[in-house]
Amino acid sequence: MNLPFDPKVLREHQVEWSRRTFLGKSAQALGALALGSLLNPRLLGAGASAAPGPDGRWMGCLPSLHFPPRAKRVIHLYMAGGPSHIDLLDPKPELRRIHGQPFPASFTNGQQLAQLQNTKLIARGSTFNFSRCGLSGQWISDLLPHTQQIADDICVIRSLHTEQINHDPAHAFMNAGSMVKGRPSMGSWLLYGLGAEADDLPGFVVLMSHGPSGGEQPVSARQWSAGFLPGRFQGVQFQSRGMPVHYVGSPDGVCQSTQRQVIDEIARLNGVHEEETLDPEIQTRVAQYELAFKMQTSVPELTDLASEPQSVRDMYGVKEPGDGSFASNCLMARRMAERGVRFIQLYHRGWDQHGNLDTDIKDVCTRVDQASAALVKDLKQRGMLDDTLVLWGGEFGRTPMGQGTGRDHHINAFSAWMAGGGIRGGISWGSTDELGYRYIDDAQQMHVHDLHATMLAAFGIDHERLTYRFQGRDFRLTDVHGKIARGIFA
Amino acid sequence: MAATALAGGSPADLSVPAAVQFNRDVRPIMANTCFKCHGPDPKANKANLRLDLPDDAARERTDKSGRKYTPIVPGRPDGSEVWRRISSKDPAVAMPPPDSLHLLSERDRMILKLWIAQGAKYEPHWAYIPPRKLAPPDSAGHPANPIDAFIRKELAERGVSPSPEADKRTLVRRLYLDLVGLPPTPGETEAFVGDARPDAYDRLVDHLLESPHYGERMAVAWLDLARFSDTVGFHGDQQFNDFPFRDYVIDAFNRNEPFDEFTREQLAGDLIANATDRQKTASGFNRLNMVTREGGAQAKEYLAKYAADRVRTVSTVWLGSTMGCCECHDHKFDPFKSKDFYAMAAFFADVKQWGVYADYDYTPEPELSGYTNDSPFPPEIEVDSPYLKARQDRLVVKYRSIVSEMARAMASDPAAAQAVRDWARAAAREAASGPSGWPVLHPVEAHAAHEGSDTSLNAKAPVAILPDDSVRIEFVRDANASRSGDSATVTLAGGEGPVARVRLEALPDAKFGGRVTNENAGGFFASVNLFSLQLELSVLRAGSSTPEPIKLADAYANQRTTSYENGHAMVSVVAEWRSDPSRVHEAQSADYILAEPLVLKAGDKVVAKVKSEEVGRVRFSVSPLGVPLPGSKADGEALALLGTPSCADAILPLAAECFRSTGAGHRPEFASLLSTVRGIAECRDGRAFTLVTEATTPLVTRVLHRGDWQDETGEVVQPSPPAFLPGLHASPGAARLTRLDLANWIVSRDNPLTARAFMNRLWKQYFGTGISSVVDDLGLQGEYPSHPELLDWLAVDFMDSGWDVKAMVRRIVTSRTYRQSSQYRPELADIDPNNRLLAHQTPRRLEAEFVRDNALAAAGLITLDVGGPSVHPYQPEGYYAALQFPDRDYVADTDEREFRRGVYMHWQRTFLHPMLANFDAPSREECTASRIVSSTPQQALTLLNDPTFVEAARGLAEEAMAAGPSAPFSASLDVAFRRLLSRPPEPREASSLEGFFKEQLAYYSGRPDEAKKLLSVGIHSPPASADPAMLAAWTSVARVLINLNEAIVRY
Repeated sequence: MNLPFDPKVLREHQVEWSRRTFLGKSAQALGALALGSLLNPRLLGAGASAAPGPDGRWMGCLPSLHFPPRAKRVIHLYMAGGPSHIDLLDPKPELRRIHGQPFPASFTNGQQLAQLQNTKLIARGSTFNFSRCGLSGQWISDLLPHTQQIADDICVIRSLHTEQINHDPAHAFMNAGSMVKGRPSMGSWLLYGLGAEADDLPGFVVLMSHGPSGGEQPVSARQWSAGFLPGRFQGVQFQSRGMPVHYVGSPDGVCQSTQRQVIDEIARLNGVHEEETLDPEIQTRVAQYELAFKMQTSVPELTDLASEPQSVRDMYGVKEPGDGSFASNCLMARRMAERGVRFIQLYHRGWDQHGNLDTDIKDVCTRVDQASAALVKDLKQRGMLDDTLVLWGGEFGRTPMGQGTGRDHHINAFSAWMAGGGIRGGISWGSTDELGYRYIDDAQQMHVHDLHATMLAAFGIDHERLTYRFQGRDFRLTDVHGKIARGIFA
Repeated sequence: MAATALAGGSPADLSVPAAVQFNRDVRPIMANTCFKCHGPDPKANKANLRLDLPDDAARERTDKSGRKYTPIVPGRPDGSEVWRRISSKDPAVAMPPPDSLHLLSERDRMILKLWIAQGAKYEPHWAYIPPRKLAPPDSAGHPANPIDAFIRKELAERGVSPSPEADKRTLVRRLYLDLVGLPPTPGETEAFVGDARPDAYDRLVDHLLESPHYGERMAVAWLDLARFSDTVGFHGDQQFNDFPFRDYVIDAFNRNEPFDEFTREQLAGDLIANATDRQKTASGFNRLNMVTREGGAQAKEYLAKYAADRVRTVSTVWLGSTMGCCECHDHKFDPFKSKDFYAMAAFFADVKQWGVYADYDYTPEPELSGYTNDSPFPPEIEVDSPYLKARQDRLVVKYRSIVSEMARAMASDPAAAQAVRDWARAAAREAASGPSGWPVLHPVEAHAAHEGSDTSLNAKAPVAILPDDSVRIEFVRDANASRSGDSATVTLAGGEGPVARVRLEALPDAKFGGRVTNENAGGFFASVNLFSLQLELSVLRAGSSTPEPIKLADAYANQRTTSYENGHAMVSVVAEWRSDPSRVHEAQSADYILAEPLVLKAGDKVVAKVKSEEVGRVRFSVSPLGVPLPGSKADGEALALLGTPSCADAILPLAAECFRSTGAGHRPEFASLLSTVRGIAECRDGRAFTLVTEATTPLVTRVLHRGDWQDETGEVVQPSPPAFLPGLHASPGAARLTRLDLANWIVSRDNPLTARAFMNRLWKQYFGTGISSVVDDLGLQGEYPSHPELLDWLAVDFMDSGWDVKAMVRRIVTSRTYRQSSQYRPELADIDPNNRLLAHQTPRRLEAEFVRDNALAAAGLITLDVGGPSVHPYQPEGYYAALQFPDRDYVADTDEREFRRGVYMHWQRTFLHPMLANFDAPSREECTASRIVSSTPQQALTLLNDPTFVEAARGLAEEAMAAGPSAPFSASLDVAFRRLLSRPPEPREASSLEGFFKEQLAYYSGRPDEAKKLLSVGIHSPPASADPAMLAAWTSVARVLINLNEAIVRY
């Protein structure tokens, strides 16, 4: 078989190529022929290396879902620093009773410690009261009065546990299921598996807020890295100062229409070059410029909170829209959810209370409690809670032992809550021993891998079957672990 | 016809080779579907069957029902249980089980059947047997380069013709971008295009291989492997001192250091006999892993992380293998054992390091006492930096030109000249009153204070004025009292005349055992040898009771201990002066430069507040002379000259320089002078610190069960290369193997992997894909090479050449295969969709660094200095807001460093510069052998809107307009195209752009403010003569060009 260099063949290819390009670009061209497929890209059956959809948008690698999906998007309210489960979501009267006494060695022998290494361990009960809330009667700390109001919508998980006791690797473990660098974060996995619902915004967005009261630990961009997955699945951090997305603003002196002209001219010249080289990559690049321009338009619209009614702002407790506060970010998160962002992660730093716990935790609660609850209420009133999974929690918990006026890092048990996305509200999942030291109910224990497996299941994904081959091995978010907590779903 | 589909081939291609080869055809199938349960990992093994071992596969067995069966009977598929299972439709019998992730295709089954029928011949894995240098295929009618012989043989067998050679413009741009990472200048392009000599191409290759920028280009890939970055990566992501390592890598490629030597120096440079600074610098390789200083981190846990990183790095870089899996278990596919992992780690157990680089009370590390988040990461050594030396020399020239320019301006102004004469007389008079031109100030009053939490001790702090005009500060305190907040305040008279600097001397005192430190300050800390000190000055004018603060610009000490800010050694001691404890018995001094000149009149007093808990005895003097060059000894000479009034006119220029260097008048120049002097000081006489490997007593290395660092039950292992590979191994009773032994084994002929791994990556650099496409895994899960004989030939030739990297680069880029056109060939879309046969070149998107370099070079902005500390180009504001311990601001460079090459960009692991990240540069947290190449909207946004590229567009526009104010559009456009794309525009490109240009010109002509805004992006100013609307319109045209796909792709 010999195909000599033949200009005629070349020409035919060009015609074929532009026809395909036209088909790919024009939704109308598909017409009635495949309208159903277009609305449900999964029916296109694109195979394990699913092709990009219209406009070069990634439609996900999964040809079909493994279970009926419940959730379409995640809003992860990431309480960075390690919120104290003892003071927020896991009441421990017995710990209060032995407050100030030596912590029983039977609990701690041979266990890992962080800053309490080589010190005497003393029990520290919570100084805050807990109340039974809602019809379900869930126990929630009075530090979280607004969360108490949504008690019947949330599932409180008390049996979380992790493997990493320092912030940096623990964040990596919570996000990527591994502290080895270069592993994709869960947002990247979801985007890779399911694609995005919108093409004019990044599919995975990160926002960060913090309070002035200290307890802030650095959070690395690696936490939303795509790792070994292609860079397109990386989380995009929206900045609290300057342009929300890097380089999303046109240069000074270049207005929207000038920028449009520039992009049109780029496309024209790229087209000329494509005709000459037949380089198929050029079409892809032209599509990226279109996406970039859409982003330049959509991001300002998205981040313009002025259009939100005062009543909504008040509900979240937004003082100054776009001020970078957690409240403002929560409102932004809802707008992103409405616009098809797949994974939204809101870091709030300020939970690392090694000291001054009683004052500082109060402060951080006033910064996050109202907006967290408002987000759930708002999603619910808009009918979006059913397919939006909200996760509230940090990378680990805090010791039931005191560290001066605070608590140290703790990995054997910590709490979080979930709402929406098919999760049963008004229940709790798992429990800890009488001192809040370790999870006790093995049937309802929730390792980070299990949390990941459960979250993917909410999207209809079997965590064992969302894989990516890298360095000769099929990797997945849950490594070789993970059990779905089926009982958590309604 | 052999019609094996290459990777990525059409799934419809069911053709099966006539003669099945195990390595090429069978092993990839088995690795994908069988070895998970029937491979090397004993824990995962099912049915006690290993299909990777011929003997085990051919052994007869009996199942539970007593049925005898044999997995594989060579020659007889029908008698083979394997065939029965894989061809079965019964889910209970079928293999692999129907719910497996990886199932067999029909073609896979046919191959396995044929393989058994043909005798089930196994081959050892291709990468684990020594490479052989087979004679290149019959080269009759083929060009001489063996690469072409191998490539064309495959093409011929498939009936595919190679592509013609690319045109000369494409070739010259390709060679420049591939060999030096820069575009050719229009002159260089034309020189090559016009060079009709038959060896013009080879001459260009030789020329580029000798360029100092070749090393920079080669370094990019190596720095990814070495996980070189400016920061530690964990938690606070503080600063590493390590740029000399990057300089070493660039230099090693430039001087074409043999790769075996390059290997030895990086793994064990410190262990080489009489190791040079250069070799020690190279050994910094072992220190480039991520490290932590986080409070609460457990040293032992992090030491385990560091060890694992080194194993992953060494195995990826030199063995092309994924040993990382073996941290927790034996490799599931390759013969690496868990024990091999820890035996490899044991080689590095002697590296001096800390699990946590700080001395916390719950994790004490006494050797790091006093370390803060601003401190460096020891061990470090100080080495020569040619870049810094050259920069210092340049700055000295700049200093001279600033002062002489200031003096010149003054000489033409009679009034100013008179002011200089007056000043010179006063200065000389004043200076004559003190030794070496520094009149001493006389203390008239002195007292001590304590502003710390412990206020009970003030009265016990006697301050004595001594006859030599010094002041003794003697705190007397209880043993455990806090010293923080001590200060002494001295009121000083004298020094009438102009004052530009104040000198603070710390003097030894017999009362303190001849030390400069107040021994009694020791108290609890007994015998302090180091003082730290902050100075506040103010002036109390005669008749006034309110002191006016004197602003200090900078201060330089003649003896000091380095202070750090985010890991950077501070050169000015104005914020804090810490003495040199090794000279505690000698006088030490620091000169403080006043931010504004001061004239002391009779009756004026200087009030000096010395904030220090340790300093023992101080004295003050002043000088009328201003900012000197660091280390300058010119004070005395200048003053001697100024003191000869008869020569006043002759020395006017000198006097003017001295005057202006005090900051009198000419504020902007003085600021520039101060920053130049600071810049000179930062060059530190061409010396820089760099982290190195220092050998110490090796830690005990154990096999960690499932990687659990808390597990102490595992077997203790000695350093050894992987057991299944031939050559050196640890043996009982023999001396412990060292890193040098490891390096020597890695580059020995025993090791089949190193040369293959290197050549495979090098190939990828020039063709976009390795000969085996998975460059970081030559193991069973990697890819059987598209041209195994070629890869072997290259590997052996590389070793035969004496590991001569340039020779191998030359061999590749002079091949006909490399020189082919990259024109896409649609007719090959089905048989070779990924161009693995190399019937044409492959267009290659530039790496992030070269995307930047290319734009800056075309713009005429690029700075081509080689080596030196990392630079800080523009970066979005607030990008480091989430970085703490310490908090830090990113300060972009405002001089020529802004325009240095991408390879020198500051690499912050946790927040990589967005431009680099957007163009797929890795964070370098891990060793990276292969960058992903993506095409994203973020890339478009970067090229459109990042100030670096907007400014580059303006630079390119200026270059285009330099064709002349009356030059036609086409002439200017021609310049821009040739600078950026190495070719003239085509007529339809030119006409499209001309229309665009007119549109833009009309727009900006009507909006001068908008034009001005666009032109003010960046730090370089547009020429004053340029018409703003024209330049803005050309900037728009240049933005279009810089954003073209062609501008960031090498064709």
